[in-house]
Amino acid sequence: MNLKRLSGIKKTAAYIFLFIGAAAFVYPFIWMLMASLAPEKDIASFALWPTSIGLGSYVQVFEKIPVLRAFLNSMIVSLTVTFFVVVFSSMTGFALTHYEFKGRDAVFYIIIFTMSLPFQLTLIPQYILMVKLGWTDSYLALTVPYFISGLGIIIFRQYFKTIPRDLFDAARIDGCSDLKILFSILLPNAKPAIITVAILTFMGVWNDVLWPIIVIRNENLMTLPQLITLFAVGGKAESQLGVKLASAVLLAVPVVVAYSFFQKYFITSMASSGMKE
Amino acid sequence: MGKKKLTPYLLIAPYIIHFGLFVAFPVVFSLVLVFHRWNIISPMEYVGPGNFIRLLGDTFFWQSVLNTLYFILIHVPLQLLIAISFALILNLPLRMLGVFRAIYFLPVVVSGVVVTILWQQLFGYENGILNRLLTYLTLPRIGWLTDPDIAMPSIAIMATWKNVGLYIILFLTGLQTVPVQLYESADLEGATAWQKFRHITIPMINPTILLVLVLSTIGGFSLFIEPYVMTGGGPLSRTLSSVLYIYKQGFFFYHMGYAATMGVTLTAIILVVVIIQKKYVERNT
Amino acid sequence: MKYIVLISVIFLSLSVFSCRENINERNGVLYWSSNNTDEITYARFIVEKWNRDNPGKQVRFQPVPEGQSSEEVILAAVVGGTTPDVYSNMWQGDVEYYARAGKLVALDTLEGFMDFLNARCDSAVIKEVTSRDGHIYQIPWKINPIMMIYNKKMLAKTGLKSPPRTYTEFLKMAGIIQKASLVGGRVTKWAGYAEVQVTWWQRWFDYYPLYLSASGGAKLVNADTAVFDNKYSVSTFAFLQKIFKNNYFPTDRLSSGQDPFLSGMIATRFTGPWEIVHAEKFKPEGFEYDFAPMPVPDDHSGPQYTYGDTKNLVIFKTCKNPLTAWYFLREFCRLENEAVFLKITNQLPRRKDLTSDPLFSNYFAANPLMIPFAKQARYVIGPDNSPVLKEVFDVISAEYEQCVVYSKKSPASAVKDAAHSANLVLMQ
Repeated sequence: MNLKRLSGIKKTAAYIFLFIGAAAFVYPFIWMLMASLAPEKDIASFALWPTSIGLGSYVQVFEKIPVLRAFLNSMIVSLTVTFFVVVFSSMTGFALTHYEFKGRDAVFYIIIFTMSLPFQLTLIPQYILMVKLGWTDSYLALTVPYFISGLGIIIFRQYFKTIPRDLFDAARIDGCSDLKILFSILLPNAKPAIITVAILTFMGVWNDVLWPIIVIRNENLMTLPQLITLFAVGGKAESQLGVKLASAVLLAVPVVVAYSFFQKYFITSMASSGMKE
Repeated sequence: MGKKKLTPYLLIAPYIIHFGLFVAFPVVFSLVLVFHRWNIISPMEYVGPGNFIRLLGDTFFWQSVLNTLYFILIHVPLQLLIAISFALILNLPLRMLGVFRAIYFLPVVVSGVVVTILWQQLFGYENGILNRLLTYLTLPRIGWLTDPDIAMPSIAIMATWKNVGLYIILFLTGLQTVPVQLYESADLEGATAWQKFRHITIPMINPTILLVLVLSTIGGFSLFIEPYVMTGGGPLSRTLSSVLYIYKQGFFFYHMGYAATMGVTLTAIILVVVIIQKKYVERNT
Repeated sequence: MKYIVLISVIFLSLSVFSCRENINERNGVLYWSSNNTDEITYARFIVEKWNRDNPGKQVRFQPVPEGQSSEEVILAAVVGGTTPDVYSNMWQGDVEYYARAGKLVALDTLEGFMDFLNARCDSAVIKEVTSRDGHIYQIPWKINPIMMIYNKKMLAKTGLKSPPRTYTEFLKMAGIIQKASLVGGRVTKWAGYAEVQVTWWQRWFDYYPLYLSASGGAKLVNADTAVFDNKYSVSTFAFLQKIFKNNYFPTDRLSSGQDPFLSGMIATRFTGPWEIVHAEKFKPEGFEYDFAPMPVPDDHSGPQYTYGDTKNLVIFKTCKNPLTAWYFLREFCRLENEAVFLKITNQLPRRKDLTSDPLFSNYFAANPLMIPFAKQARYVIGPDNSPVLKEVFDVISAEYEQCVVYSKKSPASAVKDAAHSANLVLMQ
């Protein structure tokens, strides 16, 4: 399988295959964008280019639901969770790699065990917990339950293993406290791990819908995907396709922008979510 | 010295606290809940195995399990096939591979809600793009989401479209670990492309296959937002997924004990399916 | 150390965000209205009036916090223990659920309540809102009767002189409309439209009002037993099944931008008086419509009942001053005030003098489209007392889909199976 042996015909066939694939992935998004800009009567009939374009559907979305507020909520929630996941996961990963202590293996196995628990098992009791703590309809319900990520711990643990012990010991001799070693020496050297954990966490929280739908009922506290979901399912869109699609575009744009800038990081990070085993 | 010994425990303290509150407690509590009837606003009531008896006779629950398995049965093989094919091509020495990879990955990062709203329009009966294409080809139109026999396969196609990018990347990573020498020595023996694929590639990427199988099966059991937005579980409950049904019982009708019972049962089912998959893949390679 | 400070700062800010207002004042009453604009206007009016006249017993008012639906918000408030003292928009079908959980004040134990109720409602209504334990936890407040809106011109074209009264007349009209609308073998106009989705409350707009009309106001659930397995349910199912079988109603969700009724795609629809405001706002030039009672079986006689989408007033147990709350509600429902309410909201108060008192007649003279609803108001039924009524509607909905929309079952067996499943639910 190397370049020299690939004949021209095979090469062309491969490219055609790849292009068809690319069209299948991109065309729906382009159609959605154009439909959100098209006048309502056009949506049912155009294939690529509507008769005219305008922002009418977007104006309606902004009039009907608090999109900006929801965007802000999503940012607050996702960033808070990402911050804590990085801090707590690195702390735990650090403890698991650089210390010998009683129960270390037990903790590691508990982490692995927890990761293999499907959420279906804990969904109901977790909701009840939120109710009993009085956290429903607050940012607490959206953030605190996510503060720990087993995968995050595993990623940091693996990364810290590659950092030579000497670095750690030298810092200790210099009289650094352990926390200081972690946060000012190890973490700055663990950027790839941080990026991976951060992107995975951020994307996971940003895109989640089920949990917000369950714990948030106050429109002012809804996350963007939740708000858009309820908008699309409920009656507020008044079955206007353009408005629905415009709301979907608004939900897609922040992620697509981030993705186009950090595409490589996204791909490697999200692919590493497969290293669960 | 005492302080030094304490440090690792301080470091893992957040994890332990979080684990106790958000994992251990819910797991234990759900095992309590399964023996109770509770609508959250009245006191809990012990019902013994009542929830399980009800579950056994609940045709909607079993239909939702079958629906979910049906979804997995279509979605997972389709996913494997498409992902491997694209990965094989992307593994060839061609140009612009980075661009293609980025494009294929796009639906993976976009929220499932976006994809669902979008495909709901593509699937439209009167004016959806897919049916317009069929009409153009003078083929009969399809009730993508309204025909009871087709609605779930439609959702499976959509889910594949959304996730396949991730699995392409996983397979690509797997393919790149296959030593080139293996192919070269096979070439010397005059092996055909298919033989090389069957006897070298497949066994070498076996761990990836298992990974993709398990990941997309577990993903399949979480099916929720797609039917929630597109069909509400209809037509004829054919797209009612297990999580959607749990959601309905738990958060619509507030049968907390019963919903927890379904959660526990579903966990057991997931476990069995994943173990069977593992055994099967390990035996056949 | 730096980090610990940072972490605690973030934690603190999170808890500040989630802090809840402490709402229960010592002598006052907290009242939540729905978040419908007109109802808020009325709530403001009545609260200001009350506070002027009762300086020592202030009522504080806020619309129910925005959420998925007011039902869900109220439930979340009950679960979280953050209920208001008084709530004015409780769906009657939900009352039994809260009453049995001990979350509502039994109003019949309050001084003067029964006199008030007897003056307001006739005995059938009082019986309807009495809980299974014999207490009354709600004041019947307002109704939006479900009737048949029809496009006058479309109907005239079919040759009918008056809107279809019976199933046969309706089907005949539907056939004529369909035939006239065929374009290249495709149906372009329909007799009506009903949501095919199985969402439980969609049955308020097809099966349930038809069932009430056919049966003279029979119950779905009585004493925690399903009682709808009868010939009225079967004939209703059969009627709707015929409609869908013949493609008189579209089975696809009509997803065009325009309103299907106002754009002349459908000739009728089963809906409530809220349609008037909508139609007056969006109707095209020259569009004419009116309302008629729901169609009934051909052999029907006697009064024609329908579903009323009843919303009622309740006092939550968390209320510290139930008497003050009750006096406030009595003022809330006083004749003069409800005349104002009707004028502001175009929603009918559920009281027996609605068609007789001159204070109301002025309104109806000025709003003739509301007259059919006022006439219907005497024959309106609210949902039955059952803590699981939503689920009963849900199982009916599932059978409805099988039988009516997809013709997979006969009406008789669908109704029988629905009643069987409903009884299982009710036994739980």
